[in-house]
Amino acid sequence: MSSRMSLPLLINEPGAGHAPVVPFLRLSALWIQITGTWCNLECTHCINASGPNDPWLKPIAPEVARAAIQEADQLGVKEIYFTGGEPFLHGEIMGLLADALAVAPTTVLTNGTLIDDAMAYRLAALARGAAYSLEIRVSLDDTDPEKNDRVRGAGAFDKAVRAIQFLHERGLLPIVTATEITSHEHAGGRGMYERFRGFLAGLGIEKPRVKIMPVFALGRLSRDGGRRLTEDDLESFDRGTLQCSESRVVAADGVYACPILAGLPGAKLSDGGLEASFRDAPLYHPSCVTCHETGMTCKNG
Amino acid sequence: MQERVAEYRRVALFGGVYNNALALHATLEDARRRDVEAVFCLGDMGGFGPHPDRVFPLLKDHDVLAIQGNYDESLAQGKTDCGCGYTDPRDNHFARISYEYTFTNTSTENKAWLGALPGGRRIRLGNHRVLMCHGSPRVINEFLWESATPTGLLKRFLGQAEADVLACTHTGIKWHRELLEGKHAINVGVIGRPENDGSSNVWYTVLTAGPDLSVEFIPVHYDFETLARQIEQEGLPPEFAETVRTGWWTTCLENLPSRERSRGKF
Repeated sequence: MSSRMSLPLLINEPGAGHAPVVPFLRLSALWIQITGTWCNLECTHCINASGPNDPWLKPIAPEVARAAIQEADQLGVKEIYFTGGEPFLHGEIMGLLADALAVAPTTVLTNGTLIDDAMAYRLAALARGAAYSLEIRVSLDDTDPEKNDRVRGAGAFDKAVRAIQFLHERGLLPIVTATEITSHEHAGGRGMYERFRGFLAGLGIEKPRVKIMPVFALGRLSRDGGRRLTEDDLESFDRGTLQCSESRVVAADGVYACPILAGLPGAKLSDGGLEASFRDAPLYHPSCVTCHETGMTCKNG
Repeated sequence: MQERVAEYRRVALFGGVYNNALALHATLEDARRRDVEAVFCLGDMGGFGPHPDRVFPLLKDHDVLAIQGNYDESLAQGKTDCGCGYTDPRDNHFARISYEYTFTNTSTENKAWLGALPGGRRIRLGNHRVLMCHGSPRVINEFLWESATPTGLLKRFLGQAEADVLACTHTGIKWHRELLEGKHAINVGVIGRPENDGSSNVWYTVLTAGPDLSVEFIPVHYDFETLARQIEQEGLPPEFAETVRTGWWTTCLENLPSRERSRGKF
């Protein structure tokens, strides 16, 4: 595990002044950075360097989250995501999930460590009574406990796997989300996607759902320098395929273009209201190269 | 200039033919018996099934009023991908097989016909202004699942389009939501493959004007065993034939929202 850093993301925060931009097309996805960077794990590759002590990005007050949900409803949002940090550390997460589900399909991204059978029961009851689908994304970086816990922390594997099983037993269909942080350690075997599907099938999960994410060079993996996008890179490229054209992230101190860059000054688009953030987003960060090259989205699909 | 909008009393709508000429023929016969005044296809003539060119004579001979789906757009423009909007590797694996087969076996003339289709249509059904699209009014391959489409978004679509009824397809599973003030959103379903409910029949929709709009989902039974054998004879994946025979989706289901996914077998 790496040591905790204060404001680690600013190490690699380039200026946004002359960067190419992505036009705002629509509000498809509202992201709520509900716990900021407050998390009970300290993963070595965390994109926003979340951890248990003194989060550099603060949790959101419930009334701020509710106001964002209501505004997003008026603006025709299609789906809502809760992320952090670890969302289940937030004292009002269940009520906020219910508020969101009254408006749109809702997804919560979790490390699973706080989901026991009682929580799985409550989530299943919430899902059954909701107008729209509730999705639970559980992070697990490797199917091997030792490799997983080396990057996510001791005991993280067992807790996440138990959460997946609890959710499954309660009739929910968790989406297991894995980054490629340890994928090079499995060279020569099955592909990562099939390996995870096989692992879940081995747990008795009849409908294994897997989402693979690339590793981003920010947060705890932040480094100086790094290539940035230019107008030449984007010639003949449909910028509307980038998630920042249709996503906005509400954090404690403002609204940002995408979940990867939430909290970074260069990505901040408004100090408060969602609609005020509906303007061009600068592709100023080295992480924007990753989205451009891989076509990846933080959304479920 | 004011757009001229055709008026009807009773119409049939379907999407997703997916090369299934047998189901298309059965659907057209069923619609004729129900005294509809026009038949609309909301796009995606190709996919999954065998012998793509067999659907075009049926569409033309029965004066089906079609719009362009993502599959049609890709075929017409010579794209290398169906543009279905999948992100999952397994979904894309099967989509690629299906698209390459369909691209190879669709004539140049029929690709040109697909390229000439409009992107949407408007009609009037009595007092109701109907907007038809493939995925959504804003994106041709946007998935509007029942459990993942907010009412607020539907109201926004209708308001922006100055319409009372939104009719779409693309997902493969039908649904109808009555909104306030006599407005409706309808996913008309597809006739190319069953809708993941364990039944081999497919579905289309009949809309009838009245003080209140009548929305009927019509099951269509057809010779699915012959279709499944043709799929096998053409060397397409056995998973496609299995879906046709059993009514359970075996492929292209990773993007289903949890509620729709939980209803299926896989």
